[in-house]
Amino acid sequence: MVDIIVGILRAILFVVIAYAVVFVAALVNILFERRALAFMQDRLGPNRTGWQGVLQSIADAFKMMGKEDFRPMLADPVLFTLAPVTVMIGAVAIQLVLPYTNGLMAIDLNVGVIFLVAITSFTTLSILMGGWASRNKYSLVGALRAAAQMISYEIPMILGLLIVAMIVGSLRVEAVVAFQAGYEWIVFYAPFTFLIFYIASIAELNRGPFDLPESESELVSGYGTEYSGMRFGMFFLNEYAGMTIMSMVAVTLFFGGWMGPFAGAIEFWGVDWIGIVWFLVKTYALVFALVWIRLSLPRLQVDQLMAFAWKVLIPLGLVNILVTAAVILWVPSWKWGLAVVGWVSFLAFVALLDPLLKRRLRKQRERQPVVSA
Amino acid sequence: MYDHFETPEPDEAVKLALRRIEEATARGEGSDVDGLAFNEVVVNMGPQHPSTHGVLRLVVTLDGELVKDVIPVIGYLHRSKEKLAERRTYFQYIPIVDRTEYVASINCEWAYVMTVEKLAGMQVTRRAEFIRVITGELMRIASHLVAVGTFTADLSPLGTAMVFYMFREREIILDLMEELTGARMMFNYFRFGGVRYDLPDGWVERCRDFVKMFPAKLKEYEALVDDNAIFLQRTQGKGVITQQDVVDYGITGPNARASGVALDLRRSRPYSVYPELDFEVVTEQHGDVFDRYRVRMDEMRESLKIIEQCLDMLPDGPVQLGSLRAPYVITPPPGSAYVGQENPRGEYGTYIESDGSRYPYRLKFRDPCFCNLQLFPKLLSGNKIADAVAISGSIDLVLGGIDR
Repeated sequence: MVDIIVGILRAILFVVIAYAVVFVAALVNILFERRALAFMQDRLGPNRTGWQGVLQSIADAFKMMGKEDFRPMLADPVLFTLAPVTVMIGAVAIQLVLPYTNGLMAIDLNVGVIFLVAITSFTTLSILMGGWASRNKYSLVGALRAAAQMISYEIPMILGLLIVAMIVGSLRVEAVVAFQAGYEWIVFYAPFTFLIFYIASIAELNRGPFDLPESESELVSGYGTEYSGMRFGMFFLNEYAGMTIMSMVAVTLFFGGWMGPFAGAIEFWGVDWIGIVWFLVKTYALVFALVWIRLSLPRLQVDQLMAFAWKVLIPLGLVNILVTAAVILWVPSWKWGLAVVGWVSFLAFVALLDPLLKRRLRKQRERQPVVSA
Repeated sequence: MYDHFETPEPDEAVKLALRRIEEATARGEGSDVDGLAFNEVVVNMGPQHPSTHGVLRLVVTLDGELVKDVIPVIGYLHRSKEKLAERRTYFQYIPIVDRTEYVASINCEWAYVMTVEKLAGMQVTRRAEFIRVITGELMRIASHLVAVGTFTADLSPLGTAMVFYMFREREIILDLMEELTGARMMFNYFRFGGVRYDLPDGWVERCRDFVKMFPAKLKEYEALVDDNAIFLQRTQGKGVITQQDVVDYGITGPNARASGVALDLRRSRPYSVYPELDFEVVTEQHGDVFDRYRVRMDEMRESLKIIEQCLDMLPDGPVQLGSLRAPYVITPPPGSAYVGQENPRGEYGTYIESDGSRYPYRLKFRDPCFCNLQLFPKLLSGNKIADAVAISGSIDLVLGGIDR
């Protein structure tokens, strides 16, 4: 009996923690991105509300809560209401298999890695629901773009995760972290896999340069066009929380999770508190990278986006799986083999993608006819 | 379920778009997929849309992501500027010209003032001519900065950064202009036969500083986008304007020059002191979005060259006719005059018909943006919607000029 009550309390505790992480992460990220973008764009950004503007997101959140709860007349009432409510499920549920630190993890599923992929798609479902229910052409186009994008980029993401599972030999997330003890981070063995996973996860997040579902220059604000007030706020919070959540997944799978110097130095209630610090530091390094990437790259176009997924990432991911499998099977000290293969392919991809693309563009440019009367 | 809600009656432009779809379907040209009569959607882009740069409204027929048809709807910014001229003296009308095409307003002032001078047979003092060229070219740079900045902003958040970088430099130009004229955008600076004020102390040096500093900034912008594969992919080969289009639709300015038509009124129909100045007419060959962007970047360099020469050649002397000030009331003889001036967007022409009174009998502007807008249905149809946005950004419309 006591076990059951403790179990229920534990479950409630972790759901509360997960929701708290989502909300706090979103509020922090919104401010973080606004300040970081402002820094890169040679302006100040919000710095009036509280010390250096730290209260800006909270003020914005209260402002959104105070707004009218408005629904367009012709919108589908059930789906329109349901979409912003369900949109957070993905971001919350995904945390239940992530170890924040040693001893702080809701449940160690034996199919944790699969669960990660399965649950991330949930956000897209809500976006599709909201876009369809809004009865707005911009929303619908945005939602359909989001769905097409999710389907395309889920595949390279799974191909990346499969390699993690192959290296570790287990689908349990705890095992993935345990494997990376002693700074043997998976990213050192499989940097190319990480690159594929990271690109795919940016597309999953609908962030620049893959922010087509809400590209404001064409679709006003995509699937969220008809949403206002806190309903819009839920989409907005989810999107920004997603940055942190996705970076947490990447840190757990590739960057050794909560491990770092002095991890385990301060430990009470069975929880390693230094680990949390390392987890957050690594996560926010990746969040900054996301902001940086968003600023530095122009938005892709729909056909280019699909072409990049199906013609570049998926073939490369499949080849990567084959090579990795071969190395693990036949090379005696396979970890070293993997590292060599991984770094060679990583450097080749980084060094060659841009020149090859530009060479193709140059040739296209030469073939392009000169206009005449 | 929704029976009791009335859908509002579509307006004329939407009806036209729907009618065109029906006609295309009747001709068998509609995208007939699996027994559906048509699967086109009519979408209203604007007048409030993030990427129409003003109050342009495009009624777009979309087939999925593909733009099938575009109907531009204008008139949301109409302030009857041409009619206003008939109830104002020539002098009173100068500040109103500023407000037609407000991004490069001093060039519009110039066009109007030149026409009145031609009508009245007035001479401009030489120092004033040089000051006019300097201010005109400064505003050309400012206008191109706005054009390129907003165009790249249509492509990406990277462009948003570009807008901020470019407005940073535009701010320097506006500061210079503010020092000179007292206003930042609506200058009211040109007078018949001269300009309102002489250059303030130290202005020439500050202008020289800007000319020295700016080429490095241009390099910075080019480093940001010219080398970016995604940017090239999004711009090259998109929205090609052929030379036939240039002739047919009366396209002028950078858009024509990007198609290889070396049409620059500063050279082909010279006015002011441009014949004495040494500069190139920038042309490109492909006529696509990328070339229109390149032409604007290179034109900024040419403008810098012009400003530098003018600062060197700047003669002493009065900036207005006569010993006191510019004539407030002028009565040109009956007749008409047309002067085309090279605005940053093309030929900005002013036609004035005079009946010998203090007021113009009729005034008409030929606005380059209005002519460029006519090309939209042809240019945008058949492109992806994201490309259509990039193309319309590269044409660089200012609605204040179109609607007047």
